[in-house]
Amino acid sequence: MDNQTILELTNVRKVFGQTVALDSVTFSLRRAEIHGLLGGNGAGKTTLMNILYGLYRKDEGEILHKGKKINIQGPKDAIRQGIGMVHQHFLQIGNFTVLENIILGTDIDNRYTMKTQNEEKKILDLCQRFGLDVDLNTTIDTLTVGTRQKVEILKALYRGVDILILDEPTTNLTPQEVDALFESLRVMVNDGLSIVFITHKLREVLSVCDRITVLREGKNITTLDRKDASEEVFVRAMVGDKMDIENSIYFATDQRSSFVNRLDQAAAFEMSSVSFINKDGIPRLKDVSLNIHSGEIVGVSGVAGNGQRELAEIVTGVIPVSHGKILLDSKDITHTNNQELFKTGIAYIPEDRLHDGFLPKANVAQNLILGHHRNQPYSDGNFINWKTVFKETREQIKEYNIKTSGPEDVGGNLSGGNIQRVLIARAFSMPSQLLVAHNPTRGLDIPSMDFVYQKMLKRREEGYATLLISEDLDELIRICDRIAVIYRGEILGILPRSEFDKYAIGRLMSGIKEENPATEEKALP
Amino acid sequence: MDILVNFLRLVLLSMVPFVLAGQGTMLGGRTGVFNVAQEGMMLVGASLGFLVSYYSGSIFLGMVAAMLSGALFGLALAYFTTALKMDQFVIGLALFFIGVGLSTLLPKIIIGITLTPPLIKTLPNLAIPLLSSIPVLGPILFNHNILVYASVIISVGLWYFLYRTQKGLELRSVGEHPMTADSLGVNTTKNRYWSTIIGGALIGLSGAYLPMVYSGTFTEGMVMGRGWLAIALTFFGGWSPLPILFGSLFFSAVEVLAFRVQVIGSFLPYQFLQMLPYIATIIVMIITFKRARVPAFLGLNYDREKRSV
Repeated sequence: MDNQTILELTNVRKVFGQTVALDSVTFSLRRAEIHGLLGGNGAGKTTLMNILYGLYRKDEGEILHKGKKINIQGPKDAIRQGIGMVHQHFLQIGNFTVLENIILGTDIDNRYTMKTQNEEKKILDLCQRFGLDVDLNTTIDTLTVGTRQKVEILKALYRGVDILILDEPTTNLTPQEVDALFESLRVMVNDGLSIVFITHKLREVLSVCDRITVLREGKNITTLDRKDASEEVFVRAMVGDKMDIENSIYFATDQRSSFVNRLDQAAAFEMSSVSFINKDGIPRLKDVSLNIHSGEIVGVSGVAGNGQRELAEIVTGVIPVSHGKILLDSKDITHTNNQELFKTGIAYIPEDRLHDGFLPKANVAQNLILGHHRNQPYSDGNFINWKTVFKETREQIKEYNIKTSGPEDVGGNLSGGNIQRVLIARAFSMPSQLLVAHNPTRGLDIPSMDFVYQKMLKRREEGYATLLISEDLDELIRICDRIAVIYRGEILGILPRSEFDKYAIGRLMSGIKEENPATEEKALP
Repeated sequence: MDILVNFLRLVLLSMVPFVLAGQGTMLGGRTGVFNVAQEGMMLVGASLGFLVSYYSGSIFLGMVAAMLSGALFGLALAYFTTALKMDQFVIGLALFFIGVGLSTLLPKIIIGITLTPPLIKTLPNLAIPLLSSIPVLGPILFNHNILVYASVIISVGLWYFLYRTQKGLELRSVGEHPMTADSLGVNTTKNRYWSTIIGGALIGLSGAYLPMVYSGTFTEGMVMGRGWLAIALTFFGGWSPLPILFGSLFFSAVEVLAFRVQVIGSFLPYQFLQMLPYIATIIVMIITFKRARVPAFLGLNYDREKRSV
């Protein structure tokens, strides 16, 4: 161990029930470095850091801090050792103010009067030093994701940490916000802090990290200096030997040919001026017009909660349209119910797999035919033909690599990633004019993500339409023909593949339209 | 005028059980422990408070005993839900039934059945010098037993504690988002235990108020639904000490009014008036529904290593 090393985890093991989440993992962190912790979903990155932060107990292994063995029982111990963590799902109290969230759990100078001038001053100093601009007296609920993340980082800095763990910090940030975050991180490192940066996005670690450790399936594969390694080395380490990287879409670098819009053809799916007003009378979709041609993948990008869910549910007939018109194959389906839509050719991968897409008490076969169980070949209209169902589903389990003991297995036994595979298998196995996929690759490891992309591109070749709603901008840029950006229920712009630009999309995601239209709009009466 | 003064005096007098039980429920709820055993706990407080006062001759000791019994129920609730992670409603209802049974059993075993009810001296009034001689306001506000003053002081004290101290901030955070509180080193378990125990003590004391001020003796089921009303009151008051204090004035006014109607007789059956607090609670909850200030984690148990929150 060199004297630069500030923290070391050796042979850490953690078991959840029957699954080994971490298997003798070793990790070391140097002073004043940004250390990337890279791996796909389920690799154990977050589990490892939760152990370091005291949220989980390790089953085996040791933690050395500045060469001394330390025992971390809970987050309080971790904070005392100078370890702070920014969680992927922010740990913040929505109806508390920014100030209250930051000082919670620390000793306040005037603890019996809550006169917090001293604390406020200290926080404002930090804001200035690291370029994190936040109003301390606003309530958390009213802030954007980007600002809430600044609060989360301030929380850690306020506690005087010298080690900061960031868990997937760029999720839901616009590209502009990501750049600002990286700048702040650099300032912190120059100040002597050490940062652990957990992510599954290779490009991000390559652009900001000094050293990178790759985890895969609970084991650490390698630790390398950024400057000593090429992108390829990391790709291989992340996915193992099994995956065919050359033909993958996930890692593809060459430009795919753009979709040619055959103007002579009518759009397969057409939405014109669709609005949705929810139960509380709040408009969640405003005048949305969108069409998708046969053989086209249209993406919808936006920060979570800007109406994506409502859009998906409107198209699939889960919730009723307030105003506007929807056509599928030139047929009016505006008021067609969900059951009919499934028959006539819409498939749906819902965002919230546990609530909207899966029955944990039903078996895998039943889950695989759910929604299509009234149709041929599963049913003759009255009775379900279980023999066919089991035969078909057994094949699907094999094709989609669902880890289960068989079609009779209870759905609840499946892990999150496998449940997602069931949803994907269900949506892709029935022929459909239009597929609505909402965050279809959430919780999947890289080979499975790639598999989903292959399937989508196959649909595209076969001439079917796909609507891909995703919070992962890289994913959209990878496979979409056009990307529509949604902000507060409005489509702010639709870009064709030739005009894909992260920053342009990012601007739209944060509600900034292109140059000067605001003034033009105002000029209209 | 005299009737009005007397009415307002009675409203203040009979607000005490609501205030104490409401604040007790609120305190536990602010850490996420939703107590539904109030009715039973108040009965035990009434029964034990009466018995101890009767045999010791000291009303003060009776109050202490009632508070201890409530605290013990609170401890049981906290233990089963925090340490054993059992369902809060199931445990709460079980504790309610235990309380009901225990409250009638204790006097029967200890005193037995008597022809004339055994009586204790009721709490004396403490007139506050000078203030009590103000016309109109004096008799309404400043000539009451000690628990009337105490209930107001406790309410204001709880407000100060929750919103103006560091410990109060920590306590509230546990009921809103225990994972956040935990990740910042706030001891969620300890907060849940103490808030439920102290809340239980307040609920026990509110039960003891009934024999000590109203009747001088314990009768079966004498709480008469005030425990359930206390739950309604905490929702009515948005789980916040001062609104709960004012809410109890309203609940108490309805109670006094219903009693009047029952005695004097009126075209309106008194049962309708007794329904009023519940109806008012529902109306208030409908109106404030969208901005309902209920602790986000109310009624739920927190387990640190559960992988999905």
